[in-house]
Amino acid sequence: MITGYIIITLAVTASPVAWFDTGKTVTLIAAIISILIVLYTTFHKSSREKFKVRKIAGLRAVEDAIGRATEMARPVLFTPGWGGDIQRPTTIASMNILSHVAEKTCQYDCRLVYPTHDPVIMAVAQEVIKEACARAGFPDRYRENDIFYVSSSQFGYAAAVEGLISRLKPASIFLLGTFEAESLILAETGNINKAIQIAGTDSTIQLSFFIVACDYVLIGEELFAASGYLSQDKSILASVRAQDILKVIIAMLLILAVIWATINPDSTWWRF
Amino acid sequence: MIKLESRHWIFLGLFVLVVGAMVLNISFDIAVTDETQRLYNLIDSLPEGSTLIISFDHEASSLPEIRPLALVVLRHTFSKNIKLIGTALLAEGTGVGYQLMNMVAKEYGKQYGIDYVYLGFKPQYIAAILSMGESIPETFPEDYLGKPVAQLPLLHNVKNYDDIAGVISIADGSLTTHWIEYGASRYGVRVSAAVTAAMMTTYDPYLASGQLYAMIGGLRGAAEYERLINRGGAGKRGMLAQTVSHIYVICLIVVGNIVYFRAKRKKRSNS
Amino acid sequence: MVAFLMNRLGPQIICFVFGLVLFAVYFSAHPVARQINTTVLVDYWQIIFAFTLIIGVISFVNLSVHDIKRGHNRFYRFISLFGLVIMPVFAVIWGIKGDSPFMWMFDNVQVPMQSTVFSLLAFFVASASYRGFRARSLPATVLLVAALLTLISRSSLEGALPSFIAGTADWVRGNPSMAARRAILIGIGLGSLTTSLRVLLGIERTWLGGEK
Repeated sequence: MITGYIIITLAVTASPVAWFDTGKTVTLIAAIISILIVLYTTFHKSSREKFKVRKIAGLRAVEDAIGRATEMARPVLFTPGWGGDIQRPTTIASMNILSHVAEKTCQYDCRLVYPTHDPVIMAVAQEVIKEACARAGFPDRYRENDIFYVSSSQFGYAAAVEGLISRLKPASIFLLGTFEAESLILAETGNINKAIQIAGTDSTIQLSFFIVACDYVLIGEELFAASGYLSQDKSILASVRAQDILKVIIAMLLILAVIWATINPDSTWWRF
Repeated sequence: MIKLESRHWIFLGLFVLVVGAMVLNISFDIAVTDETQRLYNLIDSLPEGSTLIISFDHEASSLPEIRPLALVVLRHTFSKNIKLIGTALLAEGTGVGYQLMNMVAKEYGKQYGIDYVYLGFKPQYIAAILSMGESIPETFPEDYLGKPVAQLPLLHNVKNYDDIAGVISIADGSLTTHWIEYGASRYGVRVSAAVTAAMMTTYDPYLASGQLYAMIGGLRGAAEYERLINRGGAGKRGMLAQTVSHIYVICLIVVGNIVYFRAKRKKRSNS
Repeated sequence: MVAFLMNRLGPQIICFVFGLVLFAVYFSAHPVARQINTTVLVDYWQIIFAFTLIIGVISFVNLSVHDIKRGHNRFYRFISLFGLVIMPVFAVIWGIKGDSPFMWMFDNVQVPMQSTVFSLLAFFVASASYRGFRARSLPATVLLVAALLTLISRSSLEGALPSFIAGTADWVRGNPSMAARRAILIGIGLGSLTTSLRVLLGIERTWLGGEK
């Protein structure tokens, strides 16, 4: 249907507008360079072998947090926050950590509770946890009712998760994903209930709340590196290296622009 | 019997102080910051008959802080005879936005369909922002009341962002970021914001880089804007409660540090 | 084989193709490109969204009924189900505009309840400030002083205090704070880029339920 639709549209449209928007040339060049660097670091064998990720305290504490919950016979609560949907990279990064956490909780026969605000995230999380249980060798320990949708409303969701934390008193709480104003409500409730809390988000304003109220915080990009760090998958770890290369390039461009603008304040090329 | 802990006393203290401040109802004159002045200047400089999109990108929960912000922006725009298109990217902002727009429109004798329209809510905000960049009538074939857009004279000459002087996102979260990332960077529409105080620092980098044109934030921003348009409101009234709570938090931080250092000294002397 | 096609290969191909098409369309202002954009974003996305809501409601009802049967939080579950049923009933019978019962419930039940939860933030900020802002080290002391200056500058007191306080608070917000925020944002942007590419290229498949 879509093919036919496009063909008809193409046939009837004799637009004088060019196919390529020249105003986006710089963006296209930057995108191509970024993609090439990611592809090179991911698929170039020798580049992949040499690479190691520094130790990330928040991720090293994952196993301890699950162990604590198992010893105390209390559940683990994992929430991706209210701010994201499944197409957001942060949510996908959060799913990667969920997969690891679910595998461990399944091995230790520890209950994992996953409330969410988005039905798609719920469906994906169910699949992720089911697979993790199968991988751990205990598919029968998968509890579908513990992965559930509560509300799409921000504070409806916050109230529901806060209530869950107060009633279930989880020993460990993972707050990993995109959070907004609900972050402090959840983190403080966890703190009051003396849970070990590992948090991570791409929302810079909420990071400050997490730093005050949580035990470990993954700051921004650490969340995206988590998947490779936990699985030690070479391809994923290598793509993390691409981030560093791109960061160096951006830093060099910034320094160049600062020097240029200082010497010649009227120049504009760097303001694209 | 519940044993009261230090946090319960902290909560109780805050409650008593804020309620007391609201009852006193004293207002202060406050200085206008550059960022508030910038939004005021933007609206003030638009020619009569220009069209702005006001997007109610917030939940019902933040209404006490959002309402004064929305009211000052609406009052200023209507007083300058600027035409308004109201939208909402969060479902809960829809009803609130409609009520506020109608209320202020009545104050200024504006006519629905000609001076302002309310298109309502569109789910999936990124898709909605991108889609409005292609075609506003296709994104919203009907307004909030179910009337086809063809019957709304204001929209007869509005196809997409090219026909809009700017977007003002009234938000309590990060939705304005999507307006910047998709509306401004992709379609070049000028985006401004009226946000809750907690969100202001999130938008600072965008404001400094010019991706966000102007911003007012929190009760303080509303109070500053009320001063600019010479009209009192909830912003000015709420400033005493805000000031009292800020002083209270400062005192808590000081007391917390005294407790911390005393405990540290005691520990040292014991060892 | 069929399961593999349906659960793994199929979604991966759809993800790659749509990712590629939307990437290409981004760099074009041609009406056809824009039309594809609108079709995918408005029509397809909205239809998918509508169906996902049904999944959410079914899950919510299932869980509530399950809890009611087992006697868990029975009262709360009844209230939730009542809300879930009554709001659509009001909307269908009397509509959602103006003075309808739906809007009455929204204004007089939902708004106050949500505002109550939102207001908890103020209490938690107070307790977190008391517990968290301690001058444990030099960086912590710098953070504490910056917080105090910002709190003062965002109140009505600034007029009664020396002007350098507001000036310093603005400087902190506009320079060190913003520089740190930008650095984090660049890191997040690059992290998002590599994660997105890993997903598009099929290197990262956790979102499909399984790892590589």
